[in-house]
Amino acid sequence: MTTTKTADSVRRGRSARDPNLLRLLVMLVFVFVLMTVLRPNQFATMADFNSMMRQFPEYGIMAIGISLTMITGGIDLGVVGTANLSAIVAAKFLIGTVPRGAAPAQVVPYLIIAVLLSLSVGLVCGAFAGMLISRFNIPAILATLGTQQLFTGIAIGITSGRPQSGLPLLYSRIGNMEFFRFVPISFVIFFVVAVGVGIMLSRTRFGTYMYMMGTNPRASRYAGLNNTSITLRTYMISGLLSSVAGLIMMARANSAKADYGAPYTLQCVLIAVLGGINPNGGFGTIGGVTMAILILQFLSSGLNMFNNISNFYRDVIWGGVLILVLVFNKLLSWREERRAVRKSMN
Amino acid sequence: MKRRFLLVVSLVMVFALAVPLFAQSYDPMSFKSKKPMSQWKIALVPKDATNAWFVRMEVGVKQFAKDTGINAFQKGPAKTDAAMQAQVIEDLIAQGVDAICVVPVDPAALEPVLGLALSRGIVVIDHEGASQQNCLYDIEAFSNQGLGQTIMVELAKMMGEKGVYTTMVGNVTNASHNEWADAGVAYAKAHYPNMTLLAAEPRVEIMDNLDTAYERAKELFKKYPNLKGIFGTSSLSSPGVARAIEELGLKGKAFVTSVGLPNENKVYLKDGTLQSVLLWDPRDAGYAQLAMAVKILKGEKIENGCNLTAPGWTSMQFAPGSTKVLQGKGWITITKDNVDSFGF
Repeated sequence: MTTTKTADSVRRGRSARDPNLLRLLVMLVFVFVLMTVLRPNQFATMADFNSMMRQFPEYGIMAIGISLTMITGGIDLGVVGTANLSAIVAAKFLIGTVPRGAAPAQVVPYLIIAVLLSLSVGLVCGAFAGMLISRFNIPAILATLGTQQLFTGIAIGITSGRPQSGLPLLYSRIGNMEFFRFVPISFVIFFVVAVGVGIMLSRTRFGTYMYMMGTNPRASRYAGLNNTSITLRTYMISGLLSSVAGLIMMARANSAKADYGAPYTLQCVLIAVLGGINPNGGFGTIGGVTMAILILQFLSSGLNMFNNISNFYRDVIWGGVLILVLVFNKLLSWREERRAVRKSMN
Repeated sequence: MKRRFLLVVSLVMVFALAVPLFAQSYDPMSFKSKKPMSQWKIALVPKDATNAWFVRMEVGVKQFAKDTGINAFQKGPAKTDAAMQAQVIEDLIAQGVDAICVVPVDPAALEPVLGLALSRGIVVIDHEGASQQNCLYDIEAFSNQGLGQTIMVELAKMMGEKGVYTTMVGNVTNASHNEWADAGVAYAKAHYPNMTLLAAEPRVEIMDNLDTAYERAKELFKKYPNLKGIFGTSSLSSPGVARAIEELGLKGKAFVTSVGLPNENKVYLKDGTLQSVLLWDPRDAGYAQLAMAVKILKGEKIENGCNLTAPGWTSMQFAPGSTKVLQGKGWITITKDNVDSFGF
């Protein structure tokens, strides 16, 4: 495996026998069983599943966005800023245009325009970050730290930092509805996004390009790939996903604000790394990321069931999990390397 | 294909409309619990679990649990963030708590999740969230009127109920500071005939800055030698003005009081430059919120004068024109004797 990876070998690397997926599955089951045993009447109940399904889509979708950029060897720290800015634009539009007391049927066209508006803001934000990275060669971590600041700043500027509330009732009704009184619509959106992105990564040419560029940008350029366009498109997708997350947050909070969910950024990076996305690019699957999202949500909801564990320790536990996973992954890759060397010597 | 899609969309809309989620009004009496008290579970959700103010609030929560034997606990987000606070509440609803007390980061952002809690029969009590729709009651430590009068009573005591005074606000645009000052001035007019408001500068602004408070006070005492007292509002006015009083050698001749934090004023309280500052203690606020939740779980009717069994919270009054917002007299006077007992 020391030769340059071809598209084929890259594909093989993320096949179903991926050891990382198996490890995550073991961890997921472990956390699940642990919480179920410790809190049998609370964890693993219908009410708890329902509550968790309402919680993770908003940051889960952003985590998928960040993961995509990390697969190409970058990172997008601007997801939360993009989500809030696009939600605020949609909220401002709705608050400013929908007449008071309008009938639901009248409101629908406004809602559609608001959603489209917010999605396009997401695309533009993503394109801007992608442009900085691909055209001006600014390191992704710095460029998106800047865009995060910029988008949040614009959002604060146009709202004076105040929450934008007074959305039409229909919006939050749709955004908070549940199918069969159990499956929240935000979960359905997350599911569609995860499957869609998963298919894009594993079955489309563009997905393969992303892995190739992430593995070795120089090689991919020499192979005739347009790195600029790949980068641009990746960040646009990330921006688009962020605005979807923003729309979900807007429904959950029944308002939009410049600083909702600010701590999500690091949480999403944690998820991506935990899910087996290589921070150096080129590796990782959406299946892994999804499992990492579930692990974190199990941990988080589980921890909230222990009255004695203060949320002081939440950061400690999450940080600890992240570092453990990183060390564990490194140890495993060393072992594999040694085994490969031994095999080649025999 | 297109038609079928439209059909699905319209079905979804109809379904969505059938789900009631918001802006329902609930009768607090209907939240009486059928479970025995020993099985109740009450959670208090602060803005931020790690902030000193709320760490102090947790002291009250633990005290309440100890005093009553009820399973009451505090559970908040690790950072002050509206979205994360909503998630903590989601988890609490799923756990089947009987009551949620919350100090909202942003009342608007919590409406949906608190609406959900109410629809599941969970008691919701707000604190410092007077604009919250989806709660049974919002309890406040004090009314602006009441606090303003109390600051004036303290100042009058120091000044011997006579002499010239002026008022000092954080910002002239700060609504509550101005309400306190207005109430104090009105109270002085009615009760202390020998006290007069400095006509040339009746309201001094310190831009919410300690150094500005110090400089403005120095200037005032030099410009108006007969100025005897400063009615402060912002917590920065007491330490700032006290420094001016000390430097000008006016200890015992000029006085100031305001809302203030114990540690910021400790030195001046101990050396006598300051005699007292006012504060409300988050410990008592935590205790009172839980007591309120228990009253509703017991099915008690909430009326003017209801007693939440924490110091200053013993006779709650509805805010004028409201059936939801209750105000107490939850301030405490901090002097050199108790300044060390707060831990913040």
